[in-house]
Amino acid sequence: MLAELVLEQGDERAFRALYRRHTPYLYQFVLRTLGGSELDAEDVVQETWIRATQNLGGFRWEAPLRSWLTGIALNLCRNLFRRKDRAWLEAKEEFLPAASYSPEAGIDVERGLQMMPDGYRTVLLLHDVEGYKHREIAEMLGTSQGTSKSQLFHARRALRALLETGASDTSTDVRTRDHA
Amino acid sequence: MLEQPDELSSEIKAELERLPRERTPGQLLEERTVKELRSRGLLRSPRMRPSWIVVAAAASIALFAGGFGLGQWTTSRNVGDALVTAQQITAQQIEARERTAMEAAELVQRTGSAYVLALASLASMADSARNGELDQGREVATAALYAAAGQLVSLIPDDPIAVQIRRLLSATQLPGEQESSRRVVWF
Repeated sequence: MLAELVLEQGDERAFRALYRRHTPYLYQFVLRTLGGSELDAEDVVQETWIRATQNLGGFRWEAPLRSWLTGIALNLCRNLFRRKDRAWLEAKEEFLPAASYSPEAGIDVERGLQMMPDGYRTVLLLHDVEGYKHREIAEMLGTSQGTSKSQLFHARRALRALLETGASDTSTDVRTRDHA
Repeated sequence: MLEQPDELSSEIKAELERLPRERTPGQLLEERTVKELRSRGLLRSPRMRPSWIVVAAAASIALFAGGFGLGQWTTSRNVGDALVTAQQITAQQIEARERTAMEAAELVQRTGSAYVLALASLASMADSARNGELDQGREVATAALYAAAGQLVSLIPDDPIAVQIRRLLSATQLPGEQESSRRVVWF
């Protein structure tokens, strides 16, 4: 098994095989969670592999390796969010599409996700895109199931509003307002 | 159909379903991750098997000796450079035992390039050199090629080119010709 070769022998070829198998998924997940920042996403993916390799001995093979890697990556994303805003997982009631949004402009789901507050986006991605349950999300984010449900409620409402009204290029204003 | 505010429409759900699940980052990310893991001692570079090391080093030495012999023979302005190259390559050969297959392959490539350059230098002097000196140059060049082909046959027994070169060179060796009759000084 590749992971055993990495763990027991530090086998570089085995590591590269593991890396190439899992990184495309991991990178896309992290990139989307971070709202599209490629530099941050690359840093997180690199650090994920470093931590995974360091702790491979403690990995229990009851869960798929990919889920374990995702958990590590998510934890790193969470640390990044916390550095920006300690209350990143609290409701952002003030987040609403700005009045200057133009229905004609139109945005797609990917863009809508990028424009959402970090906490909304993270929970919505985990629940509606990755298929995790609230119990799992709460565990992964170190919060309660209630917070997860609340974030999802607000996230869906925000996404609907964003997609239904469309948006001009005022997303920066919205995010600034949201994080103020 | 009117959904609850916390529900997503079927269109949005479908769009979420269609989101790509994979994206490949730049190749540099893999390299920098591997480099970082190596620096932390979590990965070891892939090493060549001992037999590979010996054969690669032997081939390098054979090729180098041929090139260096040619450099000596020509007594041209390139001798100084050849000496510097000799020192560098010899040091690398010693280190090669502890280094990666990739680095050993690079060493073979560089040494081979030096050999080819030396041959080119010899060829360019074919018209002006004295016959005896030219013969000596040919001899050392052929001997190096023969030695390298021999190592290549050991390395890749099925390689048709190496086998053919070795067979051809064996066939053209004159009966009774001995090593002692050669005038090349080997290092």
